Amino acid sequence: METRHRPFFALFITPAVLSAVVFAASMIAVLQFSMREQIPGSLSVGGLTLDNFTAMLHPIYGRVFLDALWICALTAVVSLILGYPLAYALVHTCNLVLKSAILIITVTPLFLGEVVRTYSWIVVLGSNGFINLLLLKLKLIAEPLQILFTLTGVVIALVHVTLPVVTVMLAAAIAHIDVDYEKAAASLGAGPVRVFLTVTLPLSGPGIVASLSTAFAWTFSAFATPQLVGGGRVNMISNLVYQLGFSNFNFPFAASLSVAGLALTFTSLALLRIALRPLERIGSS
Amino acid sequence: MARPLSHRIIGWGGALTVTAILAFLVLPAFVVAVAAFNDDALLSFPPQQLSLRWLVNAMSYGDFQTGLRNSIVVTFAASSIALIVGSTFSFVLDRYQFRAKRVLESLLLAPLVVPHFTAGLGFLFLAAQVGASRGYGVVIACHVVLVLPFVLRSVYISLRNLDRHLELAAASLGAPPSRVLVTVTLPLLLPGLCTGWLFAAILSFNEFSASLFVTAQRTQTLPVAMYNYVREYADPTMAALSVLFIVVTAALLTIANTWLGLGRVLNVEHVR
Amino acid sequence: MSSMSAESASVGKLEQVTPARPQDVAVRLDAITKRFGDVVALSDFSLKVYRGEFMTLLGPSGCGKTTLLNLVAGFLSPDGGEILIDGAVVTEVPTFQREIGIVFQNYALFPHMTVADNVAYGLRARGIARDEIGRRIAESLAIMKLTGLEDRKPRQLSGGQQQRVALARALVIRPRVLLLDEPFSALDKHLRASMQVEVKEIQRKLGVTTIFVTHDQSEALSLSDRVAVIFEGRIRQLDAPHQIYRRPADRSIASFIGEGSVLRARLDRIDDRAATVMVGSSRIIVPAQPLTGLTSGAPVDLFVRPEQLRIATDHGVFRGRVVATSFQGDHVDVYVDAPDAAAARVQVRVPFLERVPSVGDAVAIAIDDCEATAFPHQE
Repeated sequence: METRHRPFFALFITPAVLSAVVFAASMIAVLQFSMREQIPGSLSVGGLTLDNFTAMLHPIYGRVFLDALWICALTAVVSLILGYPLAYALVHTCNLVLKSAILIITVTPLFLGEVVRTYSWIVVLGSNGFINLLLLKLKLIAEPLQILFTLTGVVIALVHVTLPVVTVMLAAAIAHIDVDYEKAAASLGAGPVRVFLTVTLPLSGPGIVASLSTAFAWTFSAFATPQLVGGGRVNMISNLVYQLGFSNFNFPFAASLSVAGLALTFTSLALLRIALRPLERIGSS
Repeated sequence: MARPLSHRIIGWGGALTVTAILAFLVLPAFVVAVAAFNDDALLSFPPQQLSLRWLVNAMSYGDFQTGLRNSIVVTFAASSIALIVGSTFSFVLDRYQFRAKRVLESLLLAPLVVPHFTAGLGFLFLAAQVGASRGYGVVIACHVVLVLPFVLRSVYISLRNLDRHLELAAASLGAPPSRVLVTVTLPLLLPGLCTGWLFAAILSFNEFSASLFVTAQRTQTLPVAMYNYVREYADPTMAALSVLFIVVTAALLTIANTWLGLGRVLNVEHVR
Repeated sequence: MSSMSAESASVGKLEQVTPARPQDVAVRLDAITKRFGDVVALSDFSLKVYRGEFMTLLGPSGCGKTTLLNLVAGFLSPDGGEILIDGAVVTEVPTFQREIGIVFQNYALFPHMTVADNVAYGLRARGIARDEIGRRIAESLAIMKLTGLEDRKPRQLSGGQQQRVALARALVIRPRVLLLDEPFSALDKHLRASMQVEVKEIQRKLGVTTIFVTHDQSEALSLSDRVAVIFEGRIRQLDAPHQIYRRPADRSIASFIGEGSVLRARLDRIDDRAATVMVGSSRIIVPAQPLTGLTSGAPVDLFVRPEQLRIATDHGVFRGRVVATSFQGDHVDVYVDAPDAAAARVQVRVPFLERVPSVGDAVAIAIDDCEATAFPHQE
C-alpha cells in the first residue's frame, strides 16, 4: 500500500548505500590500477598509462584467454550432461528418503569450500592417488596416469564444483514444469522417452540456458581448483592475476588482466544468451 | 501393473546413471576420509593401519587454530553486518519507490557476477588507496559485499511472502510504524532472517579466493591457512581437516533439510 | 387516481422500515479523486455516512469500493478532496491515529500471537492498563462467543472462529468507524448466513458506524441500512435496500441487483411522480424519473422480477413456451421463451408446492404486481 509517509526510509537506506559505495569503490580501484604504471614490488602506483592493456596483446595472454574460455565451456557442457539426469531424478523420485539423500549428496559439495574440494581431488587424481592405485591394482594400467596438472584433471575437478549448482537450477526448472503437460502427453500415447524428448526437455529450456550461463560464469571465477589441480601448468585468468600480483608484484598488470577477463566473460555470456535464445523461447510460456 | 520391458530397461539404466553420477560426487569425500584415518602418510588401498594422528595433528596445528579464530571473527561480523544491510534494504526495496532504486539494487547484486579474485584484488587496492592496514576491517568489508546478494535474496523473498494485511491491521489498531515493525514484521520475518544469516555464514566461512588477496599473515582465515598448508606439506593432515569439514557440513544440511525442507528453500519441489 | 393512491400507500408501508435518520455525520468523503497511474479510479466522489448506520458499498470488482475503504482507513491517500471522521479532517492523518477498526477478507490475524494477544493488540498499542485490558478482552470474547479460546493460535481455529476474533479485535478498541472488507466471502454458505445475522446484531447493539464493502448484492440487501451502488467510481444509487431492489435507478443497477426480465411495453401516461406503461392490456405503474422526456406511445423496457410474474391458468398478459426449469429448493425458476413480449428469456418464479409446467409447454404469463420499473427502450 502506498503511503505519503515513508517511515524509516533514511535509516534503512544508509547501510545499503554505504555497501554499494564501498563495492563500487573497489571496482573503480581495479579499473584505476589497470591504467597506472607499475612501481615494482609495491602496492603504490605511478602515472596514467595504457601499457598494461597493450602488454596483453602478447600471444601468451591470448593463449590464456582462449584456454580459460575453453575450460569454462567444457565444464559447463559436461556439468549439464551429468546434471540433467540427476536433476530429473531429484524431482521425480517419490521416495522421500531417497530424495533427501540425493539432495544432500548433491548440495554438500557446494558448502565445503574451494580448498577442501580441491584438496580432495588432489588425493583422488594424484600419481599415487585413488584412481591410479585402483587402476594399478586391477592391472588395467602398468604405470600411473598423469591426470593431476593436466587440463583433464582440472576440468574433472571443476565439473565437481559446478555440478551441484547446475543440478539445483535444472531441478528447479524441471519442478516447475506443470505435471499436467507430461500427463497429457502420456494420455495421448507417448512413451516415457518421447514424453521426455518432446515435453520435458524443451520446457526446461530456460533452465538449461540459466544453468549453462551460471556454470560458465562460476568456472571463470574459479581459482583454487586450477591453482592446485593445475599446479601452475594449467592457467586460467584467476591464477595469472594472482601470480602477477603476489609473485611478480605487478599489480597494475594484474588489474588490467582482471578487467579484460571481466569484459571477456560478459561478452561470452551475452553471446551465449543470444545463441541460446531459441531454447529459452521454447520453454517459456 | 507390469510395465513393458523397454520401460524397465530405461528405468534401470536411468537409476544406474544417476548412481554413477552420485558416486562421482561422493568419491572425493570418501577417498579423503580413508586417507585421513590411514596411519601411513602415503595413500594406500586398503589402508594398512588406522589411526587418528592426522586428525590430532590438524587440530593442534597453530596456523589452523589461528585461522579458525580469524574465520570465526570474520564470518560472524560479516554475516551479521550483511544481515543488517540486507534486511534494511529489502524493506526499502519492497515498500518504497525512489529514483536510484534499480541502480542501488544492481550494485548490491553485482558481486554475484564478479569473480571473487577480482573483488579481492579490488579491496586490496582500495585498502592501499585509503591507507588502511590489511586488518580485519578490509576482510570483513570484502566478505560483507560478497555474501550480501544471498542475504538480500533470502530476506526479500521472506518479506514478499509476508501478508501485508497483517501490518495494515496492526496500524489500524493504533500501532505506529515502529511498533508494527517490532511486534508484527520482525517476528514473522525471523525464519527468513535466520536462514539468510546461516547462508551468509556458510559462504563467508568457506570463502577463499578473495580472502587470499585481502588477508595478511595475521588475519589469515582458515581456508587460506589450509591452502598454504597444502602447498607446502603432502601429508594427510589436510585430509583429516577436510573430513571434519565434510561431516559438519553434511550434518548441518541434514538438520536444515529436516527443519526447513531444503528442497523448498532451493525451489526444487514440484509446484503443486 | 386509485392507482396513484395505491402506489403511495405501498411506498408508505415500506418507508416505515427505515427510522428517522439523525443528521450526525460520522464519516464524510468530500470530492475525493484517486488516480492509479493513468487510471482514474475515483473522480469527485462524495458520500456521507451517518452515525450508527450500516452503510454498504456495493459494486462489481474494480468499481472503486475497496479503494474507498482504503482511503477511509488511511492505507491510501487521495489525490484530491478531503476525508472527515467525526467532523475532523483526517486526510493527512496516518492510519494508526484514525481510530478505525477494520476486518479484512482473510482476517489478517497475527499468526504468531494467541487469540487473547490478537484481541489485546490494539489495547496494548494505546497503553491501556493491564487489568483493564484483561477485562475488556473477556467482555469482547464473551460477546463473540469465543470464551475458552484465549490461548489458541489462529491456525487452530475454524474459519468462523477466526472471523469472530478479527471482529472482536477490531471492536474492542471502540473504533469510531468499523470497516468491513468483504469479510464473509471466505465462509461457506451456511456459516456466511449465520455470521451475517450475528454481525448485524452486534453492530446494532454497539451502535458503531459501519462501512461494508461487498460485490454480493444479496448480502448488501440483507445487512444494510443504506446501500451505495457504485459502478466505475461513481455512485449510481444511494438508497435503502428495498428501494434499490424495487426501484433501481437505471438498467445496469436493475440487472446487477437480483434477477429480472425485460418486457416490451409502451408508455401510456407520465407526470412528475409516476408513469403508466401498457404491457398487452395490463397497466403497470412505474417511477417517472427514468422515463423523463418520453411521450405517450413511446416504447419502453419494463423490468420485472421473477416473483412479480405468474404462470396463469387463464389468460395472462402474454404467451410463451417453457424452455427450461431450475429447481431451487424453496421455489422453481421457469424460463419462458416469449418472442412477442421479450427479446430474451423471461424468468418466472413458481413458489414451492405450486404446479410447475414442463419443458415445451405453452404457457400464459400474468404480471401479479401493479408496480415495477421501466427504462427507455434499448435494442
